[in-house]
Amino acid sequence: MTDFNALLRLLVEHEVEFIIVGGAAATAHGSARLTFDLDIVYRRGHTNISRIVNALKPIQPYLRGAPPGLPFDWSIETIEKGLNFTLVTTQGALDILGEIVGGGGYEQLLPETIQVEIAGVECLCLGLESLIKVKRAAGRPKDLEVIAELEQILDESK
Amino acid sequence: MEKAESQSGIDPVIEAYKKDIDVTLIRENLRLTVDQRFQQLMKLQQFADDLRRAGRKARSEK
Repeated sequence: MTDFNALLRLLVEHEVEFIIVGGAAATAHGSARLTFDLDIVYRRGHTNISRIVNALKPIQPYLRGAPPGLPFDWSIETIEKGLNFTLVTTQGALDILGEIVGGGGYEQLLPETIQVEIAGVECLCLGLESLIKVKRAAGRPKDLEVIAELEQILDESK
Repeated sequence: MEKAESQSGIDPVIEAYKKDIDVTLIRENLRLTVDQRFQQLMKLQQFADDLRRAGRKARSEK
């Protein structure tokens, strides 16, 4: 199980600049679908990456699906050399994304966000219309049903 | 939604899916706060985990 409360508190307490996207963002907007991981887009840049590394270190991030024992150095250097990481932690599944298809990076998505309160902390979440836009851009078959639901939510919210 | 996007080839599929969406669930969720939606999601995750465990146990006892 993914403890969304714990993960979000950890990120906010360490002042990580991030935006909730994906299934968790859909939940924030009212989706009734079950999602098992927290997807966030993080601001690239040394300071923020350093905050992410420090925030997640205690919850032992490891590459999701990788064989146990594979050397994985959770460090600023690793994050700076990569972009998107699908992780498993002691608090559940967490995807940290430098960019998403159809949306770009943190700076591009920032104007499209709304502020939400979850577990007593304020976080940025991708707005509903932008979430639909990036899901459409991704064009994955598994997203088509999600898009249908999100568009229904948009209609209901009007 | 921009016009170009709404005319994409995936639209007929999305429209077909819309017919099966339970709007009552959406309306229930929209009455909740964002925080309540996440607490509900975690309860659902827990329930799914419990079901999986129960299924595994039942299969192993066959």
